[in-house]
Amino acid sequence: MEFPAALFPSYFGAGPPREEGGPAPAAGWGEHGQVLEAGTGRRQAETAFVPRRGGTGESWEPADAAAVPFLPPNASCWVPLLAPQDILYRGVLRRKLRAGKSGAALDFTKQLGHFFVDHPEDAFGSLGQLLHKNFYLGNSKLRRQARDSTIRMTALMEEIDRLEARRGCPRQHLASRLRWFSHLCRDWLFEVPLGLLADCVHEELLLQWAGLLFDDSPTAGALAWLPPEDVGACTGRLVYPGGQAMNHLYFQDVVLEELPRARGSPAQFELNGRIRQVAAARVDGEDFVGVRSDYYCGVWRVPGRTGAAPTPLQVIRTGVPASCLTVSPHLPGELAVCTQSGAVYLWSIETGLQRLRHDPQTMFFRDHSPWRWSDFTAHPRVLSCADRTGLQCLDTRAPERCHFDLFKVGEEAGCQQGERVVLPLYLGRAHPSQHLVTTQFSVYVLDERLPLVPVLKWAHMMKAPPLFAHLTPGGPGRSHKVLLGASRTQELMLLQYRGGSRSACQLVGPPQKLHSIAGCLQHLPAQLPHRHRLLQQRLGAPAAGLAAALWEDGPRESLLVFQLSEAGDVFCQRLTHEAVQPPAPTSGDEAPAAPGSSPLFEAPASSPPGLGSEEEEEEEEEEEQTFYLSNLEVIINEEEEEDAGTPAVPEEAELTQEPCASPQPSLAVPSPAAALRYRRWLKALYKVCREPPRQAWPPTLSQKRLFTRKELEAPAGPSTLHWQARQRLRQAMREGGRIQRWDPPGPQPPALLQTLEPAWGPDPLSARLTAAWSGDWWQWWEERSSFNMAQKQRALRERRRRQKRARGRRSLSASFTSSLTYQSELSEVSDAAPPPVSPSRPPVLPGEGSPPGGSPPASPAPDEALLSSQSLRCRGIPKERRKTLRDYLAVWAEGPPEPTEPPGSPASQLCIPSSQSQLSSASQSQLSSASQPRRKRPRMGF
Amino acid sequence: SSHEHKLNFKKSKEVCLTYIQDAMLQKQWKRAAEFLTFYIESLEKDFSTEYMGPSEMIWRIGTEILCHHSHSSMKEFNSFIEQMKTLGVKRYLKVCLEHAFHLLCNGLIDEAYQNLSLAESWRFGEQTAIQDKEMKLIQAYRGLLDYYSWSKQKTILLEHGQDGFEDLSVEQEMHSCFRKAAVNLREIIKIPGVWDLFVKCYVDLLEFYGDHNEARQVLNEYAYNSKFPANPNAHVYLYRFLKRHGESKKSLISALKILHDIVPSHELMIDFNTMLQKSKKRKKRRLGLEVIFAALDYAGWKENVKAWSCLARQVKQIVISEKHLDWIKQEWNSRRDWWPAFHFSRYLAKRNWQDNESLSCEKALVAGILLGKDCKYFKYVSHQGCKARVKRFRILKKFVNKYNPAYLSISG
Repeated sequence: MEFPAALFPSYFGAGPPREEGGPAPAAGWGEHGQVLEAGTGRRQAETAFVPRRGGTGESWEPADAAAVPFLPPNASCWVPLLAPQDILYRGVLRRKLRAGKSGAALDFTKQLGHFFVDHPEDAFGSLGQLLHKNFYLGNSKLRRQARDSTIRMTALMEEIDRLEARRGCPRQHLASRLRWFSHLCRDWLFEVPLGLLADCVHEELLLQWAGLLFDDSPTAGALAWLPPEDVGACTGRLVYPGGQAMNHLYFQDVVLEELPRARGSPAQFELNGRIRQVAAARVDGEDFVGVRSDYYCGVWRVPGRTGAAPTPLQVIRTGVPASCLTVSPHLPGELAVCTQSGAVYLWSIETGLQRLRHDPQTMFFRDHSPWRWSDFTAHPRVLSCADRTGLQCLDTRAPERCHFDLFKVGEEAGCQQGERVVLPLYLGRAHPSQHLVTTQFSVYVLDERLPLVPVLKWAHMMKAPPLFAHLTPGGPGRSHKVLLGASRTQELMLLQYRGGSRSACQLVGPPQKLHSIAGCLQHLPAQLPHRHRLLQQRLGAPAAGLAAALWEDGPRESLLVFQLSEAGDVFCQRLTHEAVQPPAPTSGDEAPAAPGSSPLFEAPASSPPGLGSEEEEEEEEEEEQTFYLSNLEVIINEEEEEDAGTPAVPEEAELTQEPCASPQPSLAVPSPAAALRYRRWLKALYKVCREPPRQAWPPTLSQKRLFTRKELEAPAGPSTLHWQARQRLRQAMREGGRIQRWDPPGPQPPALLQTLEPAWGPDPLSARLTAAWSGDWWQWWEERSSFNMAQKQRALRERRRRQKRARGRRSLSASFTSSLTYQSELSEVSDAAPPPVSPSRPPVLPGEGSPPGGSPPASPAPDEALLSSQSLRCRGIPKERRKTLRDYLAVWAEGPPEPTEPPGSPASQLCIPSSQSQLSSASQSQLSSASQPRRKRPRMGF
Repeated sequence: SSHEHKLNFKKSKEVCLTYIQDAMLQKQWKRAAEFLTFYIESLEKDFSTEYMGPSEMIWRIGTEILCHHSHSSMKEFNSFIEQMKTLGVKRYLKVCLEHAFHLLCNGLIDEAYQNLSLAESWRFGEQTAIQDKEMKLIQAYRGLLDYYSWSKQKTILLEHGQDGFEDLSVEQEMHSCFRKAAVNLREIIKIPGVWDLFVKCYVDLLEFYGDHNEARQVLNEYAYNSKFPANPNAHVYLYRFLKRHGESKKSLISALKILHDIVPSHELMIDFNTMLQKSKKRKKRRLGLEVIFAALDYAGWKENVKAWSCLARQVKQIVISEKHLDWIKQEWNSRRDWWPAFHFSRYLAKRNWQDNESLSCEKALVAGILLGKDCKYFKYVSHQGCKARVKRFRILKKFVNKYNPAYLSISG
C-alpha cells in the first residue's frame, strides 16, 4: 500500500463546476496534462519527465476483422424495444415545436386514445351500461315515444370517423356537435376521473421518454466472466442472461482458445424477472454471483473447480426497483444493494440486510435521478455510495457518523457543468484503493487516500455514456486495461493506465476502439433485403453487458472481450499482445506510408504537398459522395420507419448508417473460422426467428366477436380423415404452397354419409350463417330475438312457409334431418361432453372434388354437407362467397381454445358482431336468455 | 440557398470529423492525417459558436497524430505547434504549455525552457481566470527547470569543491537560478492544489540556503491549510523534514498521528507503530495497537509480513505481561464479526502457508490468541508447521496453548 512519492501537479478549487460546454468531439486528444519527474534514481545526470497522458502503453491488436458470435443466437425472436416514434407526436404540432426548438413532443392524446379503445370497459364501463338505452346507434329514425329518453348517436359517430380521416390536417375544425357532446359529457362520462388518468398517462410517457433518452437500468451490465482458478488453466465460466424475457440465467463453461468455445451445456436457472445486472467477485477461491432484476436480487455461489454446479444462496425482494448490486471482493457472501428510493443496504448471506442510509435526496446538489450505486472499497467495512452528483464512503459500523466524500461533481474534480456520474467501479484488483468513475463526458480514476482529487481524468469522447466497465489488471510493471462500453451505441473502448502505488497514475497508450456487434454486419454474407433488415435490427440492439478474459498462450497474450446485446446474443473478439515486442508507438500503422504522402503540416492552409491537387479533388468528391450516400441511407430508414429521425436521439440514425457509410479501408476479411461461425449463427438465427405471420394474409375478420368457439366447434369430434386433411391444409398454408394432390382413403365409411345430413336442418349456426351470407341476417336476428308476440308469430309463419318450400325441393333429406337434429340437440342440452354422431366440423377439403349439382342424397361427397358448394348454393349464397366462407371456417375451426369460457355459459354476448352494434342492450340480454330455449322450436313440427 | 449550403458544410464537417476519430481510435494515424488535411478547410468557414471550435480540434488531433505517426519528427511537430499557437489567442498559453510538456518528455529540456520563457512574456489584454492559472503553471514549470539547473550546478560545484577548486561564475549562476526558481515556485504553492513536485523543490532550495523556518512554514501550510486537498504526501514531507532536522519524538508522533487520521493505510504506519511501541507511555502503546489493527483492516495490507509481525509482537507482549488485555479486547470487538472471514479462513491458511511461511506464522499467532487454539487458521498452520518440523511452529503452538486463557478473556 505505498503511496506515490509525488503526484502530478493540479489546481484544487471548491464549489460547483465552472467550466461550461458539452460533449466535445476531440476533447480527449493531444494533451499531456502535466508532467512529472520520472524516477528519482539518477536525477543528477539527466532529468527525465513522464507525462500524465500520452506515455507508451502496450499494443493490443484486434485479431479479427469484426466481433464473432460466441453463442448461438438467443432462443427467441427479439421484440424491438420502444422506439421514439412510438410515443412522439408526429405531424403539424411537431413541426411547429421543432421550429420553436422546444424539443420533442410526446403524443399524449394518442396514448389516451389507445387506452379508451383498448380498455373501453375500464374507461366507460358502468356509465356505458347505464346509457345503453339512451344512446341509439341505428340508422332508422327514432320512434316518438323513444325520442324522449334516447338520442341518436349515428351522426356523432360519423363525425368522429371523419375526424379520424382528417387527422393531421391543419384546417380541421371541431364539429359543433362533437364540441357540444364533449362539453356535456366530459365531467361524468369517464369511469376514471379524466384529470387523474391524464396525469398518470403523462407521467408514464415522461418516464418512457426519459428511458429512451438514457436508460440506467442495465448499469454495469449483465455479463460476467468467472476466470479459471489457476492462472494456467483455460476453462472459465461466462454468466449471462437469455430467453425471450432475458429471465434465464446461464452459467456456461468456456474453453479459451483463439476463438473461445462453449463446453457442454450451461447450467440454467429461471428467474422471476428480466435480468438487469450480473455482478461477480471471487473470495477465497469461490465466485459469488449477484443477479439484479427490478424487484428481486439473488446470489449464487460457484465453486472454483471446473464442473462444479452453481448453487443459489438467497433472494431478496425490494419494494422499489433496485438500481445496484455489487459483490464484495473481500468477504464471502456480502453484497451491496441500492434501491431507487435512495436506500443503501449491506446484504450479508448470514446476517441479512443492514440498511446504511436512506435518503431520497441526492448528496451534493439536487438532481432528480433516483439512481443510486454502492460498491466496496479497500476497507471491507467501508462502502462507497454514489448518486448522480458524486460518491461518498461510509463505514457500515457507524454509517451516520463516519463518512467522507470521495468524488464530487464540481470544481474539485474539474468537472463540466451538467456532468453526472454514470458508473462507479471499484478497481481493487488493480490497486486496492482505486476507483473508476465514468460520467457522460469523462472517465476518472480516484484514490481513496486522496479523496476529491482525481488521480486521472480523461475525456472519453464516447457518443453515449459508458454504462459498462471492465478491469483487467496488469501484473507488476504492466499496464491495467480498462474497457468502457456504452449501451445504445454499442461503443467499446480500451484504455490503459499504470501506477498508483509507487509512481503516480498515468494514462498510457492511445485509447482504442474495439469492434461493436453491429460492425460484423458488413462481414456477413449478402442477405435478402428483409433479412438484412432483420439482421440490422438484431445486431444493432443496444449492448447489455461487457466482460473480458485474459488468456496466456506462451509468450502471446490474448484479451477476449465478450459483449452481450439486449437481444441476448453474446459476441466475442480477441485482442493480441506480443509480450516481447518493444514498445513501438508506430505499430498501429498497418502499412508504412509512402515517403511522399506523409502528412506534413508545414502549410496547413494551402494544399498539402503529399497529395496532388487532382488527387485531392478526387478525395473530396469521394467524400461528398459518401456523405450523400449516407444521407440517402438515413432517408430510406426514415421512410421505412415512418419518420424515425427525432431531434433528441441523434445517434439512432448514425448507428444504422455506420456499417456502410464509413469509407474505411475495410480492414480485412474474417478468418475462415470466423466466417464459419457467422454462417452457423445466421442459419440458427433464421431458424429461431421465423418470419412472423405476414400481413399478406387474407384480411380475415376477427372471428372471436362473430361466433364463439363453441358455436363453431360443432358437436362431433373430427374423424381421422378430417384431421388429416386439416393437417395437410394447415401445413400447406404455413408453407404458402398448395395441395397438389388429394387422395382420400378409398371407401367412404357409411357413418360419414350419415353425418352429412344434420346440417341441413335448422342448426342455429348454419341457419345464421346462411342468413348472414344471403344478406338478411338482420331479419333472422329479429326473428330470433323477437319479444313482440305479433312479430314472433309473423316470423314463425314466414319461416314455416319457407321451410315448406324447401322441403318440397328436397324431401328426402328432410326426413333424416329431424331425427338427427333431435339427437344432436339432445346431447347438447344434456351437455354431455362430445356428442358422438354429429359431425359438422367444417371441412377443409377443397370443394373442387365434389361433384357439382345433383340431388343431395345422390352426392356422397366426402365434404361436409354444410360447406359443399351445392349446399351453399341451395342457401342462396352467391358463388363467389362460397369459397371464402369455406376457408374462413376452416381456419377458425381450429382457433386456440378459450379456457376462460366456462363450458355451460351462454356466451352469446360474444357472438354479436361488432358491426351490429346498433342492437340495443335489451335485445342483447334477450338474446342471451333466449339462446337456450330457442333450439327447441324447430322440433315442434314446423 | 446559403443556409442549406451552410448546413451541408456543417454536416460534411461533422462526418469528416467522425472519420478522423474512427481512424485515430483504431490507431490508423496515416489515414487520420489524410482526413485531417481536409478538415483543415473547416477553418475557413468557421460558423460554429460551439464550445470547442475547429481550431482547437485541429490542434488536439494534429498533436495526437504527430505523437504517434511513424513519419513525424520533432521538427515537424514544432512547426505544427507554432502554427497552432497563432490560431487562437485564447488557447495560446495552453498550447505553449503542452508544447513544453512534449519537449520535456522527449528530453529537450533547454527548448522547453525557451518555450516557457517565451510564453511567460506573452501579453494579451485582460486575462481570463483560466489563462491566469495557465500562466502560473508556466511560471512554475519554468521555476522547476531553474531548480533543476540549480541542482546541476550545485553538483558540479560540490564535486569541484572537493577538488578544492572554486568557480565563481558557476556559483553566481547557481544563485541566480535559485532566485528565479524560488520566486516562481513560491507563487504557485500559495494557490490551493496538489504541488508535490514544486513544494519538494522549493523546500530543497530553502534547506540548502539554511532557511529552515521558511521551509517549515511552507510545509506546514501545505499540510494543514484546509483549502488544500487532504494530500497524504504533504504530511509525509513534513514528517520527513522534521525527522531530518532531529525534531522531538513528540512532534514526529503528532505529525504521524494526523497522517494516521486521514490515511490509516499509509505505509508509514509501520514506522509509526514501531515508534509508539517503543514508547514508555501506556497511552502511546495503546495508540500503536490501534494503528496496526487499523492498517490491517485494509485489503492492501492483507499479506504484509511486516505489519503482521508488528501486530504479533505487540499482542505477544500484552499477553505475556497479562496487562492491558482489554486493549486487545476492545480492538477485537469491532472486528470480531469479519476478521475471521477476512484474514483467518481455511482457504487463506492454505494459501499463506504455500506462499509465505513466515506470514502464516505471524498470522497464526495472532489468530491463536484472538480466536483460540481451535480456530481453523491456527490449527491448519500449526499442524502443517509441525508436520514440516519447523521449530518456530512448535514454539508457536506451545505459546498459544499456554496462553489460551488470554483468548478466553478476550472473547468473553
